[in-house]
Amino acid sequence: MDTGAICLLLAIGLPLAGFLLPAITGKRLGPRTAWVALGFPVVAFGALLTLALSLTWPARLVMEIPWIPTLGVNLSFLVDGLSLFFGLVVSGMGCLIFFYAGHYLDDHFEHHGRFYSYLVLFMAAMLGTVFANNLLLMFVFWELTGLASFLLIGFLHGEEQSRVGARQALLVTAGTGLALLAGLVMIYGVTGTYDFSVLASTGLPWSHHGGWLAAAMVLLLIGAFGKSAQFPLHFWLPNAMAAPTPVSAYLHSATMVKLGVFLCARIFPLFVDHVAWAPLVSLVGFTTMTFCAVLALLAHDLKAILAFSTCSQIGYLIGYYGLGPPAGVEYDYLHIFNHVLYKGSLFMVVGVVAHAAGIRDIRQLGGLFRRLPLLGSATLIAAASMAGLPGTTGFLSKEMMLKEIFEALAPHEYLSWFACFCVMLTSLVKVAFSTRLFANIFLGPEPPDISRQFHAPSLGMQLPPALLAGAALLFGLMPGLLDALFQPLAVAGLNRPGHLSLWHGFTRELLASTLLVIAGFGLYWLGVLTQWRWHAIPKSLQFDRFFEAALDFLARFAKALTHFVRSDTPTAYLPVLLGFVLLTVGGTLAWHFGLDARLITQVAAADWPAPQLMRGMVAGLIILAVIGVLVLPRWTTQLISLSVAGFLICFYFVLYRAPDLALTQILIEVVTLFLILLLLGRFPKSAEEGEITWQAPRWRRALNAGLAVGVGLLATCLILVVTSQPATERLGDFFLAQTVPLAAGRNAVNTILVDFRGFDTLGEITVLLVATLGGLGLLMRYKRTPEEYRQGPLGPPGMGTPPHEKEET
Amino acid sequence: MRGPDSFIFRAMVRVAFFLINLLALYLLLRGHNLPGGGFIGGLATAISLVLLSLALGLEEMHRVLRFDPVRLAAAGLLLATLTGLLPLLAGRPFLEHFNAHFTRVPLLGELHVGTPLLFDIGVFLVVVGITTKIIFVLAKSTAGFRAMVQEEEARYSSPRETPIESDWLAEAATPPQQEKSSAPPPASAHSPRKEDHHAT
Repeated sequence: MDTGAICLLLAIGLPLAGFLLPAITGKRLGPRTAWVALGFPVVAFGALLTLALSLTWPARLVMEIPWIPTLGVNLSFLVDGLSLFFGLVVSGMGCLIFFYAGHYLDDHFEHHGRFYSYLVLFMAAMLGTVFANNLLLMFVFWELTGLASFLLIGFLHGEEQSRVGARQALLVTAGTGLALLAGLVMIYGVTGTYDFSVLASTGLPWSHHGGWLAAAMVLLLIGAFGKSAQFPLHFWLPNAMAAPTPVSAYLHSATMVKLGVFLCARIFPLFVDHVAWAPLVSLVGFTTMTFCAVLALLAHDLKAILAFSTCSQIGYLIGYYGLGPPAGVEYDYLHIFNHVLYKGSLFMVVGVVAHAAGIRDIRQLGGLFRRLPLLGSATLIAAASMAGLPGTTGFLSKEMMLKEIFEALAPHEYLSWFACFCVMLTSLVKVAFSTRLFANIFLGPEPPDISRQFHAPSLGMQLPPALLAGAALLFGLMPGLLDALFQPLAVAGLNRPGHLSLWHGFTRELLASTLLVIAGFGLYWLGVLTQWRWHAIPKSLQFDRFFEAALDFLARFAKALTHFVRSDTPTAYLPVLLGFVLLTVGGTLAWHFGLDARLITQVAAADWPAPQLMRGMVAGLIILAVIGVLVLPRWTTQLISLSVAGFLICFYFVLYRAPDLALTQILIEVVTLFLILLLLGRFPKSAEEGEITWQAPRWRRALNAGLAVGVGLLATCLILVVTSQPATERLGDFFLAQTVPLAAGRNAVNTILVDFRGFDTLGEITVLLVATLGGLGLLMRYKRTPEEYRQGPLGPPGMGTPPHEKEET
Repeated sequence: MRGPDSFIFRAMVRVAFFLINLLALYLLLRGHNLPGGGFIGGLATAISLVLLSLALGLEEMHRVLRFDPVRLAAAGLLLATLTGLLPLLAGRPFLEHFNAHFTRVPLLGELHVGTPLLFDIGVFLVVVGITTKIIFVLAKSTAGFRAMVQEEEARYSSPRETPIESDWLAEAATPPQQEKSSAPPPASAHSPRKEDHHAT
């Protein structure tokens, strides 16, 4: 194994294998679990850094471990500039977030083990997604990130808000993930490979399968849009903020929502030539950008402001790939990196503020700079970076953004004007809410609420955001450093590394951005003048309400449908099912053999064994028992009669020399008898009194009898036909012959169960356990009215009778 | 669930309990070469436990079976899965079994050991666990006991979803009920809850 494989294994495999470690140590270590968990991102970051340094750039390295070769699925990983860039961002942010969480979650928090387990699992899934070369593998990790984020968003599942947010996130990201899967399968169907590296080197066969590929592209993009919270699916991201702040900072600003951006970048070289790529991607992206920026200005919860601004920025990043020229984009790494720096920092700041002041509503905050100078400075830098003020990476990013938008005006006419308008508007609004974010938290008079409940946050909590803000300042002042970082990471077909510098001269970009900043401050000032009276998100723009209403409607619809088709009454359905079986199976039989005498002659000509006295006797007894079931008056006696038939069948097994079956049948008979007797005890009163007085109408009884006889005849015919035809190849002979040499046991039945088909057995016992757990849960949740409970026929917890029967007695 | 209130029955069941379990163990061990196996053995043991509960009364079963049978089932599933994973360590496919046959073992003569037995024990435990659990839960609720103790209720349902009756059970619980449930169950046959029910 070479260095690269070891590094990848350390980065992805170690957290995947060890994500339960924090859960195990959580109880004992409490808040200190963070330091155990911190090991995973640190090791991952170190490993990826080593990997990056050990390669000669530009590199494209594929590492493969066979997994399911027959399906074309292998553990195949691709190391190139893009995956390494994202991998470093994920693991690097991971280090800071874990460190931050270690300080943020104090003794009051109870579930440290669980929390860090989920977080480690999430990091592993993220790293797996960005490094996966096999598209199916990428999908598996992609959905794993969704599941991990579901667990994290719903972490405080005692609160309804968390549950709703988690459900929304899961439904949107996992649902659109299915679209992604469909797209991937389509690509496989057309090209015959799941390997991204193969696809990238050969390109897609547009000339032959243009339609399929276009459909696949749309499906892949739907997956990306859902994951990255793009319009109109943007609503889940702000609701996902119900998670603890470190989670919000990690998943929803720095990493997971960027998966959509990552996917767009990954497939950019494959699809950029298609005529629909640019309009589709950039329209959705830029619409999201503008829409969510406006929502961010209208929101007043600190986390909601940041969440909407994240949606907005992600929209820009995605739209950026839409407008990119086919030869490759220039500054995508810069934009992504810039966003990671300031958004990660701001989210952590918000966490510290909420932690220290206990308030997250921006209207009730103020004057905190005196108490938190370090944090205030960090926020100032990060907010400046968000607004795009000079001296920060945000400025570099915005200059490049404007420059490229102006340059793109020529190739895509209307689209570019739209993009240009969106970028202008968004930049302006961003300046306004960045200013607001800083000014309303840190400046102005201090509200009395804060003076009362403020407690100072620890230095360790303030360190990570300060570090990120410091990086934003450092790189913003020395863009040459960024050049050196990004140049080697360029990927052929995706990036054309551009050159960054602080001063480009007096250009139209500088003019535009200056005007925008001034206008943005003006907008903020306007807000102050009007005392922000107008700011609240209008109900018609709260898409999450529509989503929840649709879910409610779905549940009501399902319930109505269930009532309508009466799927809960087996007596009504059994005739339909049996009639269907009779028609299809019996019909096939009749059609196959015709109505001539072939069947009868064939059955008659078969080599039947001579009748045996014992077998005949047992068969006669079984028939007697079954007749007893039909004619005996009380249904307790009917039940016993049925059990007798069951026990007699055991004799049959013995006569046919199948002792295993006989033993199993006897024991199962005993256990089911126990169960049925117990359940009888839980039946309502009419059962206790013994009889059902209701008699089905005559036609119904005739129908039942006809169906019963028909099914019996059908079974007899089937057995006759099947046994009269000589078997060509018996599977049983193979097992009988191979049992001793292969499984070293002489009981073929059991060797099949535990050895030849052991996997089946494992599945079956798993199902047994799961079904038991489900059944216990159902028993727990059975709802009875207090009246039912008190007057239940057999003491309190009988299953009770339906209320209307109660009233009659 | 309570069987006939007779000394002979109770004495018989005590003996039968060990005999059935001996049979179950025998079936389990010989399963690889002769009729038997984990599934059948598990059923036999489950039946023996049900019989025992008929003789002792359901309240007493808590004393005999000190743990939740579902844990037994979970342990069995874990054992079976681990047995399957074992060959992976040696680079062999999942669930491949290994057998060893010793011919000259002191006292026993021949001895055949193999991983199929481990797997079978796993199946055995799963079957015992879930069968007894389901039967006991149903039996208890039929006989007028609380189907599961508080701790188990928390285990099998979300804390958000308590059964409806538990809300008013707390308020409707009459003092004698509480006293009796906190005291050790009386030696006489009938359940405390049931008597209360008849009294009210």
